[in-house]
Amino acid sequence: MNRSQILVGGAVVAALALVGVYLAAGGSSYTPEKTQNPCKHRAWSNPQNLGQIANQFTISALDGAACKLGVSRETLARALATKQSRERFAKRYGIDDEKLAEAIRAGLVRAVDDAEEAGALPSIVAGPLRGFVEDVPLDQAIEIVKGAKSFLGEAESFLGPAGDLLEQFLP
Amino acid sequence: MALTAVPAAFLARRVGPGRAAAVGLAVFAGAGLACGLSDHLSTLIVARCVQALGGAVAVTAALELLPATVGSERRAAVVWASAGATGAALGPALGGLLTELVSWQSIFLVQVPVALAAAVPILAVAKHEMATGVIEPELRRTGRPHLWANVALAMVSAAIAAALFLLVLLLIEGWRLSPIGAAIVVTVMPLAALLGSRLGGLVPSAKARAAAGAILVSGGLGGLALLPSAEVALTVPPQVLVGLGLSLVLSALTETALGGRAPQAIHGGWTISARHAGVCLGLLVLTPIFTHEIENQRTDAINAGTAVILDSPVQPLLKLSLAKKVSERLDEETGKVPTIGPAFEPLPDDPTERAETEQLRSELQDQLDRGATHAFASSFALAALIGLLALIPIGLSRRVDL
Repeated sequence: MNRSQILVGGAVVAALALVGVYLAAGGSSYTPEKTQNPCKHRAWSNPQNLGQIANQFTISALDGAACKLGVSRETLARALATKQSRERFAKRYGIDDEKLAEAIRAGLVRAVDDAEEAGALPSIVAGPLRGFVEDVPLDQAIEIVKGAKSFLGEAESFLGPAGDLLEQFLP
Repeated sequence: MALTAVPAAFLARRVGPGRAAAVGLAVFAGAGLACGLSDHLSTLIVARCVQALGGAVAVTAALELLPATVGSERRAAVVWASAGATGAALGPALGGLLTELVSWQSIFLVQVPVALAAAVPILAVAKHEMATGVIEPELRRTGRPHLWANVALAMVSAAIAAALFLLVLLLIEGWRLSPIGAAIVVTVMPLAALLGSRLGGLVPSAKARAAAGAILVSGGLGGLALLPSAEVALTVPPQVLVGLGLSLVLSALTETALGGRAPQAIHGGWTISARHAGVCLGLLVLTPIFTHEIENQRTDAINAGTAVILDSPVQPLLKLSLAKKVSERLDEETGKVPTIGPAFEPLPDDPTERAETEQLRSELQDQLDRGATHAFASSFALAALIGLLALIPIGLSRRVDL
């Protein structure tokens, strides 16, 4: 081999080695993780206390609302963060307050359904809760999503007599 | 520069290389001063255009002056080509250092004394030309430029532009390094280029050097397109390949374009024109891809980061408060990769919540790093492809030579 061939051959080997090593190290998959389809059911992971139930309740509610609106759960969560972000969201996706309220109520119903299915809420509590969230106004619905723990923990203010039962049955 | 290099070379031939180089350097210095003192973008652009004209005249005239200094036209072409390749590799690193240590204006102001100092020894040549004052008519006739070498130069320069400019952007805008930090990182390329020029001296075949250089540049760009994580150290091997490659390919192609052709200044002008046209075309093609990708990746990264927050075990109120702060940060830093750290300040007092929040911050930042890095991948990959395609004109260039 002459020097020219060694140089060109060396260049090919070096280039292929670098690309090969970086590919093997995961270079082609170093991208932001894909977000989950909100319409796909997300199983609850055996919640042990009110905080964990509230966490999963929030996720289920966001998933349900996002699914109904055709946006990602993450986009909706950021939209609900402030009044300004909600207005921007409404403008960008052409979603008025009525449609948003309807979606969040649907999300809350799904959250109650999921909680009941996971055994985190007894049916006797889930029924009145479902009935309550189906008619809740938009701002209150958003506050329930944000403060699921206080909503579930202080449910008697929404549920009246059912609240005592809730306290009794919550883990 | 791309537009003025060839006319500037003709001008240098007409008035004499000594006078042209002296005047070119003076114009370059004056325009550099104007750039450094400009307080408006439009004046900066105009001054840069004038500087390009002065620079083009000086650089092409220098090629005519070099044989008298280095002994032969062939040797002059080698020195001139190597100087061009080294300068291309060194520029971003020096620029970053000066920007951070002094100011962006200093990049231009520092050129003024350097250009004037370079003009001093040329004044003697210029004086001699003024005394004799005649340029032989036959020297004004020029042959056709070396098409394939110049086409290859343009293509390789487009690819190298990605390595030089986009890598700096990735380091500063994507990975949030300071300009001086980025400058230190990209010094790998000029160091490798110096090694490449030594290596090139061992191989007489310009075609082999050009081919090896184009392959190395493409391999390095391929590595940058496939970075497995946002770590500065991982940019070093690709930079070594690009640095070695650019030194080999730019000097080999410039020598090929100049080889056996007269007058050297005119053909040198064509190579400068081809290189700068390549850089412009490269940036014109790659920048829209990169800006489009960064917006897409920003959205994906923010969604992934929000998912990390939502799926975390922290209590919903803290989660949504974080989502709110992250949202506000995104509003503040529209159009670029956001720095997410401040959204997590102040950290909670409770040790458990504090640890969870710090973990969240780290995971969210990881998603943003992934997005920023991936946003550049398509541009680097396309640049690698352009570099590989340059092998076609490199392969054809020999036939023309024969």
